[in-house]
Amino acid sequence: MSEVTVHMSVNGTARRGRVEPRKTLADFLREDCVATSVHLACEHGVCGACTVIVDGVASRSCLMFAVQADGASITTAEGLANPDGSLGIVQDAFRQCHGLQCGFCTPGFVVSVTAFLQENADPSLEEIREGIAGNLCRCTGYQGIIKAVQHAAATMAGTPTAMTTSTEGN
Amino acid sequence: MAQAHVPMADKHRDRAPLFEGTAARFVGQKVLRKEDPRLVTGHGQYVDDIVLPGMVHAAFLRSNVAKGRITKLDTSPALALDGVIAVYTHADLRYVPGTIVATMMQAMGGAACPENLLATDDVRFVGDCIAVVVAESRYIAEDALELIDLVVVAETPVVNLEEALTDTHIVHKELGTNITGTIDIPRDPHIEGLLTESAHVVTATFNQARQTNSPMETRGIVASWDRFRGELQLHMSNQNPHEMRRRAADLLAVDESKVHVAQQDVGGGFGQKMFMPREEAVIVLLSREVGRPLKWIEDRRENLMASNHARRDRATVTFALDADKKIVAGYVDINEDAGAYPFGGAGAGAMAGMLLQGPYKLQRTAFKSYAVFTNTCGRAAYRGPWQFESVIREQMVEHVARRIGIDPVELRRRNVIQWEDLPWTTPMQVMVYDNMSPAETLDQAVEMIGYEAFRAEQKRAFEEEGRLLGIGFSLYIEPSAQNMGALATEGATVQISGTGKVDVFMGTGSHGQSIETTMAQIVAEELGVHVDDVEVHQGDSNTPFGGGTGGSRTASIVSGAGRAAAIQVRQKVFQIAAHLLEANPDDLEIDSSVISVKGTPAGKTVTLAQVSHTALYATEGLPPGMETGLEATARHRQEAVTWSNACHVCTVEINRNTGAVSFARYIVSEDCGLMINPMVVEGQVAGGVVQGIAGVLYEDFRYDADGNPLTTTFMDYLLPTAAEVPIIEHGHIETPSNTPGGYKGMGEGGAIGAPPCVFNAVADALWLLGVEVFDHPLGPNEILDALATAG
Amino acid sequence: MKPAPFEYHAPETIADAVGLLAQHGDDAKPLAGGQSLVPLLSLRLTRFDHLVDLNKIGALSGISRDNGHVVIGAMTRHRAVELDPSIATSVPMLAAAMPWIGHFQIRNRGTIGGSIAHADPAAELPAVAAALDAELEITSKSGVRRVAAADFFQGTFMTAIDTGELLTAARFPVWGKGSGFAFTEFARRSGDFAIAGVGVGLEATGGKITRAAIAFMGMGPVPVRATDAEKALLGVSIASLDAAAVARVAVGATDPTGDVHASAANRTKIATHLAEQALTRAASNAAANA
Repeated sequence: MSEVTVHMSVNGTARRGRVEPRKTLADFLREDCVATSVHLACEHGVCGACTVIVDGVASRSCLMFAVQADGASITTAEGLANPDGSLGIVQDAFRQCHGLQCGFCTPGFVVSVTAFLQENADPSLEEIREGIAGNLCRCTGYQGIIKAVQHAAATMAGTPTAMTTSTEGN
Repeated sequence: MAQAHVPMADKHRDRAPLFEGTAARFVGQKVLRKEDPRLVTGHGQYVDDIVLPGMVHAAFLRSNVAKGRITKLDTSPALALDGVIAVYTHADLRYVPGTIVATMMQAMGGAACPENLLATDDVRFVGDCIAVVVAESRYIAEDALELIDLVVVAETPVVNLEEALTDTHIVHKELGTNITGTIDIPRDPHIEGLLTESAHVVTATFNQARQTNSPMETRGIVASWDRFRGELQLHMSNQNPHEMRRRAADLLAVDESKVHVAQQDVGGGFGQKMFMPREEAVIVLLSREVGRPLKWIEDRRENLMASNHARRDRATVTFALDADKKIVAGYVDINEDAGAYPFGGAGAGAMAGMLLQGPYKLQRTAFKSYAVFTNTCGRAAYRGPWQFESVIREQMVEHVARRIGIDPVELRRRNVIQWEDLPWTTPMQVMVYDNMSPAETLDQAVEMIGYEAFRAEQKRAFEEEGRLLGIGFSLYIEPSAQNMGALATEGATVQISGTGKVDVFMGTGSHGQSIETTMAQIVAEELGVHVDDVEVHQGDSNTPFGGGTGGSRTASIVSGAGRAAAIQVRQKVFQIAAHLLEANPDDLEIDSSVISVKGTPAGKTVTLAQVSHTALYATEGLPPGMETGLEATARHRQEAVTWSNACHVCTVEINRNTGAVSFARYIVSEDCGLMINPMVVEGQVAGGVVQGIAGVLYEDFRYDADGNPLTTTFMDYLLPTAAEVPIIEHGHIETPSNTPGGYKGMGEGGAIGAPPCVFNAVADALWLLGVEVFDHPLGPNEILDALATAG
Repeated sequence: MKPAPFEYHAPETIADAVGLLAQHGDDAKPLAGGQSLVPLLSLRLTRFDHLVDLNKIGALSGISRDNGHVVIGAMTRHRAVELDPSIATSVPMLAAAMPWIGHFQIRNRGTIGGSIAHADPAAELPAVAAALDAELEITSKSGVRRVAAADFFQGTFMTAIDTGELLTAARFPVWGKGSGFAFTEFARRSGDFAIAGVGVGLEATGGKITRAAIAFMGMGPVPVRATDAEKALLGVSIASLDAAAVARVAVGATDPTGDVHASAANRTKIATHLAEQALTRAASNAAANA
C-alpha cells in the first residue's frame, strides 16, 4: 500500500514522516518521533499506557492511525516536564507518592492525570478512582497513584499536602 | 489512616553493629527513588526502545488448536512476500538438546517436559509456536504469518486436571503419562490415628483459579550476533541477566564470556522473566542464522495466551483437632496444572505441602503432591509460587471454625506459634522458624480492624437490613531469601571514583523493585556518603554473578553483598584517611563524605574525594605498601531463609442483587524485619495485595472444553482498575532477621496473603445465609450461583 | 498485533464519503472514532481494503433541534454529548448513559454514530436509541432515509445499513413534561462492557403513566424492548408503581446467553434488579418533573 506524508507537532517540535496508512499513531510517535514514552501494553485500547494528548484531548494513540493525526499537535509524557527538564507537577507527585514501580504504565498515567485534573481541579477520592480507571497498573495496586493525584491537585491549588520525605537524610 | 509500628526484640545482637562509624541517615527512611525522574518523564529505556542498525523483526506462528498433528506446513508463500527475510521452523534450529532447562531451578524439582522450542510434528496448546517469520517490520511479519499454509488435524486435548489424571489422552507422547513431579510423604500410623480418631476431623477440597502474571511490559528481546567476534549481545526484558547469559551460551554452544546480557528498564515480571522461555531461546538461536539484530516483542494476546500461567491448583485437606480445638494433624493432597510446557518455577506443590502447618503449632503433617500436564499454557513462577499453602490452610482454618463452632480469630489464637516458642522446628524437620511474629501481627490486625465492633455491625446489618458483610483473615509465614544453590548467593562490587563518587555493581534484574534506590541506601549508609552520591549499576551480566531478582531475595541477600563490599572499602578509606590525618583508623568517622576524628568537631578533616584522589591519582600519598584504588567485591551467602510473616484482614460487602463484592477496609500487618525504605515496603505490599485480590475476584484465565482460550485480551482478562481496589492500611512489626542487615524478603507476601483473606471475607458473608464456597474465582457469577443455593 | 494493510480515504463531505462507500462496496468500512474498529483491525479479527475516515467531515458533527427531536451528527464525540448541558434536559436518558461508556479517553474520541452503527449488543447507545425510538438517518448516493431503531438493530453487530450507506445522524425524540428517565448497568470493572444494563423512560399525566419505554442491553443479540411491561405500565399510578413486579415482567422479554462473565440465568437476575432500580428512579424523576 502506498505511503503518505504526515506532519505533526510533537511536544512543540515539528515532525514529518512517510507512513503506511495502517501505522498507528503510537508506532509513529515511538519509531519516527523518538517519543518512546508512548508505551504499548495492550494495543487494543484497554490499558491506557499509550495515552497522549491530541489537539488538547487525551486519546489512546494505539487506536488512531498516524495519518489521522496529520496536522495535529501532540503532547506526550516527555512534553509534560518543565522546560528546564525538571519534573512537572503531576510527574513530581508520582515521585513523591511512590506512584510507580516498574514505570511502564507511568507515562500514560501522567498524561491521563494531567488531562483529568484540567477538567476537575478538586476531585474527590471517588472521582479520582473513577478518573484514573482508564489506565492499568500492575505494580502499585494504585495506592500511590491515587495519592499522587491528590498531591498534584493540592499542589496546583497551592496547598500541597504534607509529605514526610527523607531525601536529604535525617 | 491507621498506622502501627512495633519493633520486636533483636535476637541477633552478635551481628556486626549496623553502620559503624557512619551517621545512619538513609536506611529505614523514605528516600525518594533514584529511578523516578527518568521514568515519570517517559525517558526510561525498555527493550522495545532499543533500535539497532539493520535490526529486523520476528513474529511467531502459533497454534489455534489445543492438540493436533501438523500435516502441512508450507512457508514458501510467506517467504515470497516483500520485506520477509526468512521463515524458520523447528528443523532450522541448531542447538544442543537439554540446554533450556533453567539451571537455577533444577534444585527445586518440578515438571520436566520435552524441549520442543518450536512444534515438531504436533501442537500441544493454543499458542504453541510453530514457525517464526523474520521481516523488515512487525507489520510485515504479521502479514506473512497469514500466508503460511498450515494444516493441523485436531486431536482430543487434555484441558483440565481431572482429565489429565486419567491418562486417557496424553499431552506429551514422549512421556506416556500426564502425571509428573509426584512427591509422596505418606501418613505414618500416628498421623493416621490422629486424622481418624481426633475429637474433630474436617476435610474439604479447594480450587484455585488460573491466573497469569501480566506485567504491563510484555516479554521482549533484541539479539545481535556478531559472527566475526563470535559474540552475542542480548537486550532483554528479564529479571535475571546471569541466568539468561548462561542459557544463551549453552543454546549456542559458546563460552559464557561470549554472551553479554543487558537490560535497562524492565516493565514488571512477577516471575515471568526469571528464566528463559521458549520464544527467547528461539530468538537467541535465530539471531545467529539471520545475521542481523533480531527483535521480538511479545504482544498482549501472546502474553495472556502463551507466556505462562499459574495458580491452577486443587487440594483436598484434612485437619484433626483435639477437644481443646488445637490442630493436631494435617494432611493434604495437592494437584497442580503444569500446562504443556512449564518452565522455571513450576512444580511448587511440594513446597506447598511442606508449609501446610504455616504459623501454627501443628506437629504432624503429611502430604502428597503431583503436577499434571495439560494442553494449556505452561506454568511458571508467579509472585509467591507456592502461595497455595496459605490458600489451603487459611481457608481451611475458617472452614473448620465454621464447622466446629468457634470464632476464627480465637481458633488462630489457640494454635498460633508464640514468640516464646521460637525457634520452632517444623513437622518434617526440614525447616526451623525463627525471628518472626505471627501472633503479634494477628493481634495488631485484630486491633486495627476493630474486630468486635465489626462483628456487632455485621450482625445488626444482616438482621435489620439483610445486608451481607463479611470479614476474612489470613495469617502466613514466608520463607523468603532462599538458601538453595545459585539463589543463595550474590555478589557486589563497590568502587569509589577519583572524585569521591560511588559506583556499585550488582547482578540483579530490577523490574520495579526500586533496587537502584534501596541498595544505594545500604551502601551510602555504610560508606557515610549521601545517597545521591551512590549509583547502582545492575541489569547487566557484566556484574558479579547473582541469582536474579525474584524470590524476595534482594533485601537480604543482595544487600548483604553490598554491605560487605562497602565495609571493606570503608576500612580502606579510613586507613588512607588516617595516614593523611596522622590519626588512628579506629578513631575515625565519616559523614557526608567528610572523614574526621571522632569527638573533635573542629579538628582536621579530609574528604572522601581527597582520599579517593590519593588512591587513584596521587598514589605516592598512600601508606607504604598499600594497594592503589578504592574498590572491593564481596559476596554474601544465605545460610538460612528469612521468615517473613503477615496477617491480612479485610471487610467486604456482597451485593445480593449483582453478586459484586466491595471492600470496606483492607489491612496488612506485616513483619519484614528491619525496613530499608518503608515507602518501598508499602508499595510492594500493596501491589501484591491487589494482584492477590484480583486472582480471587477478577482475573480468571478460562478455556472452553476444546482447550480454546476465552480470555486473551484485557477486555476479558480483568486486571482491576483503581475503581475496584480498596485503600490499603499498613501495620508494621519489625523483627530483625539473622541476616547482616536484619532484613527479610517481602516482595511476594502481599500476593500470598491476599487470596485467602479476600476469599475468607466473602465466605464469611455468605455464611450468614448458611452457604459455603470452596473455589476461586468468586466473581459475580459464582457468588450469584452460591446465593441461589441459600433458598 | 498490527493491522493488515488498507487504502486510506479521508473525504471532507458526506457526498464524497458515500461516493467512496458506493465505489468500494463491501471492501470499504467507515472509520469513525475507531475505539471499537481499530482494536478489531489490530487483532486482525476483521479487515477492509479501504477505510473511509469520517473525521474530516465537519457536517457530521454537532447537536441541533428539529421538529421535537434532538439531532446528533454521527461524528459527534461522546464527550461532546456528555458535556452538553442541553442534552441533560432534552434527552436525559442519553445524558445518564454517557458516563457509562468506556473511560473519558475513549469518550474523547468515540462517536455517537460509531457506537450505534457498531451495534454491540452490550453497548449503551444502541439500548438508548431503542428505548427512545430514535430514528437513524442513513445516507447514500441515492439520498437520505430514516430507519426506526426497532428496525435498525438486526443482530449482533448487524444493522439496517446497507452496502454504500452511511449512518449520518441519530434523532432522539424529546419527551414532554412529566417525563422521567434512568439508565443503569452492571459491569465487572469501571468502564467495561456491561453484563447487563437497562434504560427506562416514563411519562405521566395527572399522576398516571401515559408513556413507558424499557430497553435492555447485554440481554440478547440486539437491544431488547420490554413491550409487555411497557403496556402494563400505561394508566398505572406513578406514585404506587410496583417496580419489582414490573421488572420481573420486563425481563421476560429478554433472551440472554451466557459467557465467561455471567450465565444467562445470572444475567437475568442482574437485569431484573437493574430494571427495578431504573424504574424506581425514572418514576421519581417523572414525579419531580410533573
